[in-house]
Amino acid sequence: MNLLKIAWRNLWRNKRRTAITASSILFAVFFAIIMRAQQLGSYGHMIKNAIESYSGFIQIQHENYQDDPSLENTFDCPEELISNLEKVQGVKAVVPRVETFAMTSTGTLTKGTLVIGIDPEKEQKLSNPENLLVRYRITPDVIARLKEKNQIPKEIIDKLNGLINNSYTSTGTIAMNLEIDKELNKEYLDIIASASQFPGKYLTKDDIGVLVSDRLSKYLIISIGDTLVLMGQGFHGSTAAGLYPVRGIVKFANPELDNKLIYMTLPVAQSFASLGSNVTTIAINLNDNSDEGMIAMQATLKGMILSKELTVKTWKEFNKILMQQIDSDNQTGKAFLALLYFIIFFGIFGTVLMMIHERYHEFGVVVSIGMKKTKLMFIIVFEMFFIGVIGVLSGMLISLPVLYYYHFNPYRLTGDMAQIIEDMGFEAIMPLAWIDTYILWQGFVVILMVILSCIYPLRKVMKLKESEALRA
Amino acid sequence: MNVIELKNVEKVYNDSEIKVHAVRGVDLTFEQGEFTAIVGPSGSGKTTLLNMLGGLDKPTSGEIIIGGTKVSELKGSKLIDFRLHNIGFVFQSYNLIPVLSAKENVEFIMEMQGVPSKQRYLRAKELLESVGLGDRLDSRPNKLSGGQQQRVAVARALASKPKFILADEPTANLDTKSTENLLDIMEKLNHDAGMTFIFSTHDQRVVNKAHRVILLEDGVVTSDERQTPHQ
Repeated sequence: MNLLKIAWRNLWRNKRRTAITASSILFAVFFAIIMRAQQLGSYGHMIKNAIESYSGFIQIQHENYQDDPSLENTFDCPEELISNLEKVQGVKAVVPRVETFAMTSTGTLTKGTLVIGIDPEKEQKLSNPENLLVRYRITPDVIARLKEKNQIPKEIIDKLNGLINNSYTSTGTIAMNLEIDKELNKEYLDIIASASQFPGKYLTKDDIGVLVSDRLSKYLIISIGDTLVLMGQGFHGSTAAGLYPVRGIVKFANPELDNKLIYMTLPVAQSFASLGSNVTTIAINLNDNSDEGMIAMQATLKGMILSKELTVKTWKEFNKILMQQIDSDNQTGKAFLALLYFIIFFGIFGTVLMMIHERYHEFGVVVSIGMKKTKLMFIIVFEMFFIGVIGVLSGMLISLPVLYYYHFNPYRLTGDMAQIIEDMGFEAIMPLAWIDTYILWQGFVVILMVILSCIYPLRKVMKLKESEALRA
Repeated sequence: MNVIELKNVEKVYNDSEIKVHAVRGVDLTFEQGEFTAIVGPSGSGKTTLLNMLGGLDKPTSGEIIIGGTKVSELKGSKLIDFRLHNIGFVFQSYNLIPVLSAKENVEFIMEMQGVPSKQRYLRAKELLESVGLGDRLDSRPNKLSGGQQQRVAVARALASKPKFILADEPTANLDTKSTENLLDIMEKLNHDAGMTFIFSTHDQRVVNKAHRVILLEDGVVTSDERQTPHQ
């Protein structure tokens, strides 16, 4: 029978107290993990929205472009440069772009828009606008047709009424909005999809047409085949103007982009803005998105780029606003976690004190009959450690299914909160981060608190006077 | 041969505003194989004297020498070690470790002494058999009666092969039958193995079995007489 065995058995002397203490640790770990997962998940979501699926983790820009993102700070981008960049090991996608602004009109309606010139093939490896093509749109006509056919249950029709004028890129999102199971209701979804099909196609390499974002298209009241008038300022102050047929409508999760974006092919955009072979940025995605991977790639690319007027920036450098947003939110989140830990610490501390108080007489006995105080202290630490480990492991265990579910099925925010998030330019969902080392950190911190909570009681044991303890 | 010597031992408690002289100028010696009862009314200083004898409390002045060692000068882990190897304790409330079985309670002391596992087991078994609990080796204290628990406590006290055993009111919580049983065991251990027992007690049955009776009143030894134990 060793100290560990005694400590373990001591745990179950007062099962209720052990259960309560372990439960408080369990809930602390659970909430800490969920809070952290929510935070990290939202950062991942922000990065996915803004970086991975649009700006790229690294960009090559003119050295002045960050401070003055105008057409005057574009740079020549020969095909050779692109192919050389694509050959670099670890580079996933190289996407040249032209970004400019134009007034876009149709009939009497006009709106300021962001015009992006893309290479349709290369862009598929990064923002993949083809996936954003609106394929279905729920209109009153669609619902009327469905009602007429009488093939869809009434409750689904009723729900569809709430989705009028919504556009969809897949039946999956229709099912999600209808809050029905995609597999179980496949038959109905196929009928809805067939009735709500929306024409439109992706740009081809030599296309002279454009793709228009969904909300912008609704604002301008345009559809496939309509023509847009774009007017703006080109390179060196030249006038940029042109007529462009609409080939497709694209839907962005990011409402800010969805309100103002127009895609055209790179040559068309270069021609529109009189840029020759200039581009504004080359966006690059990487196989290894970690900070280390990004910095290593930045150094490699800097070595490759000979022109002194070009610079290679990581997303943390060219998107400082997002970085600051994440940093500040991260600090707030950590402060909340610290508060949670602080409360839990006193819970654990109270339990340890109670345990010491209840067993002070017994401690007096074992020291009287010859047990060294250090051994007694080990038993106390082991006991608390066991409770801590039980609580931490259980907390981790029950958090896993929650993490799993909400990672793959993110909670969709509604109401004012959704509005605030959408106003910030992000999709209003709350995904949880996938399982990673942050889970272990929560456990580590709680175990550390358990150990810290033993300090005062251990001092009490160290100062224990046998005769006093025996009288207790 | 003197096992224990107390030289002018005093104990004054300063805990409250009033000083309490619990033990005043006690000079005593105990020899190997004694079976001694310290008696006296409540508050006479019996437990204080026993605590000082056991190194659980320090005298305010005077010396306590056990087997040539000045216990009153030992501190910290040296004192704990000294107790472990030289003194056996039997408490009024048994004070067994509740999470350990009878056998494990007895082995506990030997484990702290560093006795190998197999020897521990054999000795624990032998000791528990000697106090009539050979069939309760694996019982936890809560499954034993008060008398049985106190017998386990005696076996535990003997486990370290101490120079003497201090028993503070060992029969106070026991019924008549258990008391007689316990006293018979202690008497036998004293008679057969020469184990020294020092009791503090109110119990006349314990006093009757004692070879020596020390009367303590207001912290002073007022009588110290040897007697022939009553059968």
